[in-house]
Amino acid sequence: MSKAADNTIKKKKVKTVPIWMGILVFLVAFGAGAASKFAITPKWTKDYSVQWSDELGTLKTDLPYGEGEANKFDLYLPKDNTKEAYGLAVYLHAGGFTSGDKIGDREMLSWLCSKGYVAAGINYTLRTETNNASVLTQSDEIKAAIPQVIAAAREAGYPIDKMTIAGGSAGHALAMIYAYRDAGDAPVPVVFTFGGVGPSCFYKEDWDNYGLDQNTEESDLAAAGLFSAMLGEMIPVEEIKDGSYIQRMKPISAAAYITPDAPPTVVAYGTHDRVQPFKASLRLKAALEENHVDFKYIEFPHSGHGLQNDDALSRQWMAAIEEYLDKYMPVK
Amino acid sequence: MTLMQKRLLILLIVAVIAFVLGRLAVRAVMNLLLGGTLFGGNFL
Repeated sequence: MSKAADNTIKKKKVKTVPIWMGILVFLVAFGAGAASKFAITPKWTKDYSVQWSDELGTLKTDLPYGEGEANKFDLYLPKDNTKEAYGLAVYLHAGGFTSGDKIGDREMLSWLCSKGYVAAGINYTLRTETNNASVLTQSDEIKAAIPQVIAAAREAGYPIDKMTIAGGSAGHALAMIYAYRDAGDAPVPVVFTFGGVGPSCFYKEDWDNYGLDQNTEESDLAAAGLFSAMLGEMIPVEEIKDGSYIQRMKPISAAAYITPDAPPTVVAYGTHDRVQPFKASLRLKAALEENHVDFKYIEFPHSGHGLQNDDALSRQWMAAIEEYLDKYMPVK
Repeated sequence: MTLMQKRLLILLIVAVIAFVLGRLAVRAVMNLLLGGTLFGGNFL
């Protein structure tokens, strides 16, 4: 090799960044970027996420409301116990009806308590491979729990005169069932309900996220299996084919119970939801409109089940919840 | 621009691209599980 060529190679080597350094920087920055997705949250979320402390009030945990192992609730009692009456805010946990725990909503429940409400997180029997728990039995457990939650609050010196019920995903479905199906039996008026991404009805054509809309033997069998598990009763595939399953599913179809007397509602759904059907939420919206219920339906056009890609709309959603709480369950 | 400045600039560009890709990767995984679009809505 000539001297001139050797010098050129050396010059080139000197001018480039060592490849290992480039890879290292890439990996570190990639990891930092990924971590930042979880670590950095919009400032406004702090307004709705409160860490529990004794300064907020009293927290009573695992109060029983039934015989089942999961039949327990937590009661968040605000510091000020001098009022004549309090609003109760119930928040039901998510988890696909098969997992989750009330402790996962501690920040939300603490926020509600910090606003002056008695707040309650209620556990319900989760479906497993060995029990026959279903959306129906879970909704019945919630119905049985509410009078006991109110009684426990009263015993603690916090009489309840109205309530709201809310939740996320599966918890939202159960909250809507209580608000629209069971509110007439509630010990106090249910004045508001809110939540996100809860399935509100079971038309197979809506459940395209699981392919139940295909109208094939296989899809009808899948629909029969899924809906039977959710209802806790066997639905034959013939009922899926002839459409009579709709009536069978009514006890857990919150949207089917909406009347002009339904409580005011704030809900949020993701257009691209893969876990529960977005199309079902359009039926919910239509039912609320037809019955002239005071409601806000917020669609997250870039998000799925986690409502994870539309922070600006999340802010609007929480603001709407706060607005409706102040309007229908003001803290006196 | 000195040699050192050029090197740092290249590394900075690599870091910014990697940071953005890291965020996009998390969003892609979340979208795969929950549904959602890769772009639009939140910044990155």
